[in-house]
Amino acid sequence: MQALIVLADCNNFYVSCERVFRPDLIGKPVVVLSNNDGCVVARSKEVKDLGIKMGVPLFQIQQLVNQHQIQLFSSHYSLYADMSARVMSILEEFAPRLEVYSIDEAFLDLTGVCHQDPVAYGHRIRKAVVRATGIPICVGMGPTKTLAKLANFAAKKWLKTGGVLDLSDPVRREKLMRIVPVGEVWGIGSRTTEKLNQLGIHSVWDLASQSSERIHAQLNIVVARTVMELNGIPCLELQEIAANKQQLVCSRSFSRRLTEYKELSAALAEFCSRAAEKLRKQHSVTGCITVFIRTSPFNTQEPQYQRSATLKLDTATQDTRTLITTANRLLTAIFKTGYGYQKCGVQLSQLQSQSAPGQLELFDFVASGLPTENRPLMAAMDRINQRFPKAVSVAATGFDKSWKPKAERVSPRYTTDWRELVGVK
Amino acid sequence: MTMTAFTVLLPTLRPWVLPLPLFSGKVAAGFPSPADDYVEKNLDLNELLVQKPAATFFVRAQGESMLGAGIHPDDILVVDRSLEAVPGKIVICALNGELTVKRLAQEKGQWQLNAENPAYADIVIYDDLDLVIWGVVTTVIHAV
Repeated sequence: MQALIVLADCNNFYVSCERVFRPDLIGKPVVVLSNNDGCVVARSKEVKDLGIKMGVPLFQIQQLVNQHQIQLFSSHYSLYADMSARVMSILEEFAPRLEVYSIDEAFLDLTGVCHQDPVAYGHRIRKAVVRATGIPICVGMGPTKTLAKLANFAAKKWLKTGGVLDLSDPVRREKLMRIVPVGEVWGIGSRTTEKLNQLGIHSVWDLASQSSERIHAQLNIVVARTVMELNGIPCLELQEIAANKQQLVCSRSFSRRLTEYKELSAALAEFCSRAAEKLRKQHSVTGCITVFIRTSPFNTQEPQYQRSATLKLDTATQDTRTLITTANRLLTAIFKTGYGYQKCGVQLSQLQSQSAPGQLELFDFVASGLPTENRPLMAAMDRINQRFPKAVSVAATGFDKSWKPKAERVSPRYTTDWRELVGVK
Repeated sequence: MTMTAFTVLLPTLRPWVLPLPLFSGKVAAGFPSPADDYVEKNLDLNELLVQKPAATFFVRAQGESMLGAGIHPDDILVVDRSLEAVPGKIVICALNGELTVKRLAQEKGQWQLNAENPAYADIVIYDDLDLVIWGVVTTVIHAV
C-alpha cells in the first residue's frame, strides 16, 4: 500500500490568529511584527500583494503602511501558542499519527485511512479546522513528506485547488514539478539552489529526474534523499515525539540602547533565568554557555561592536545562579564602554539529560567559586513561578526593566485573560 | 527429613519514608470515616461547560439586545465553534466585521438574526450582508 502523508499548514498563521477576534480585518492588509516591533514576521495576502517582503524592518515600509492603512500588530505569542494547540488538537482527530512540525504546521500519516477519496478527506480536515478555530489551512498530500510539502505549496499558490492537493499520482506530479522552481522544494535553500542551477537543474522536475547517486556525489546525502522523496520513496520518518532541543537561545533586542555594564548584566541575568527554566522543563543540563552582545547593524552611523564569548563548564548544570554567575564572567570579558548596545543574549549548548552521569560534586563547586547546584531550590522556584508568573527571580535580574522590548501593538489576551475577552454586541 | 515452612521478614529499605494515601480519613475516636470508600473526584465546571476544548472560546456580552435570552451586559458566554448553527440557536456572528450575539431564525425560508429585546430590531439576512457565523453559544455565565 502506498503511503499517504499530509502536510496541514495554516495560512498566514499569526495574521489569521489576530483576525479570528477582529473579523473587521478580514480582507484588509495586516502585518505582525517581530519582537521589539522591529521587522515584518507575518503578512496577510493583501500585504504580500503590495510586494512587502518577509523580514523587512518596519521603518523601511512606513510609507506603505500609512498609504494603505496596514494594520500592525506586535507578536502575541501566548495567543498564537493557544490557537496552535487548538489547531493541532483538531488535526489529531483525523489521523492515528501526527507530527507537530512547527507552530503552524503538522504532518499527518493517513496511510490506509482514506483510500477511497483522499481529496474529499482533505477538505473535511480543512473545514473542521477552520470551523473549530477560525484558522484557515491548506492541505498537501503525497506518498512522502517532501511531496506533501510540495503539494501544500501548490495548494496555497493556486486557488483553483480549493486549498487541498494530492500528489499521489505521478502524472499530476510531473505536471506540477515542471512549472515549480527547484528552490521551492522543502530543504533546498538558496545556496543549494545556486549549486543546482549551475548543474543545469532549475525546475523541481529537473531535480526529480536526476539519479540520487549522482546528486549524492555532486552535492550531499540530504539532497539525494530529497530526490528519492520527490519520486515517492519515503526517506523521512514521521516524528511523533518532539526531540529535546540540542541548544537553547534566549536573546532580545532592547527598546533603547544600553550603554552601562550593569544594564546588560541585568538583562543577561533575565535571559539566563528564562533559559534555565526551559532547560529544567526538558530535564536537561548544559555544559557550555555563550554570551553575545552587539550594537545595531541597521544604524551604520553609530560605532559598531559585536563580540561573543563561550565557556565550557567542567560539569553540566541547570542552576539559574550558576548560569548567571558564568554569564557575568563572560560579559566582563567582552564588554566595552562607549557603545550603545542593541541586543544581547545567552546560548546554552552541549545539552544532555539531567540523569546523565558525571554531575558535579560538592567540592567541585567550592573550588570553582560557583554556587552549589541546588535542584530542590530550582524546582521550588519553577513551581512558584508557574502559579504566580514572575513571582520569584534571582536578584541579579534587577528591577529596572526599561530595556524590555517594545510590544506597543499587542492585541488583547483574548484566550488567556478573563479581563480581556472579546466583546460581542 | 521434615521441612518447616518459614517466612523471611526483611526491614523496609527506606524506613524513614512512609507513604500515606492523600485522602486518608481522619480517625475519630478509633472509627474510620464512613465516607472513606466514596471519595471519587471533585466537580469540575469545565466538564459541565466545555464539550470540546479546542473549539471553545469565552466572549463577553455587551449591550442589552439579548436580555430576553438571559444574556446581560458583562456576562461571559461560552461559545462552541464546532457546533452547527441551526435555527433556534443563539449564535455569535461577524456582521459587517463586528461580533454580535443573536438568535438564528428561519421564517418562511428567510434567514434572520433576532434580538431578544423589543427595543432592538431583527436583522434580515440578505445576500449583500457581510455575515459569517463565528460560533454557537452554549452557556451564559452570569454573576448575581
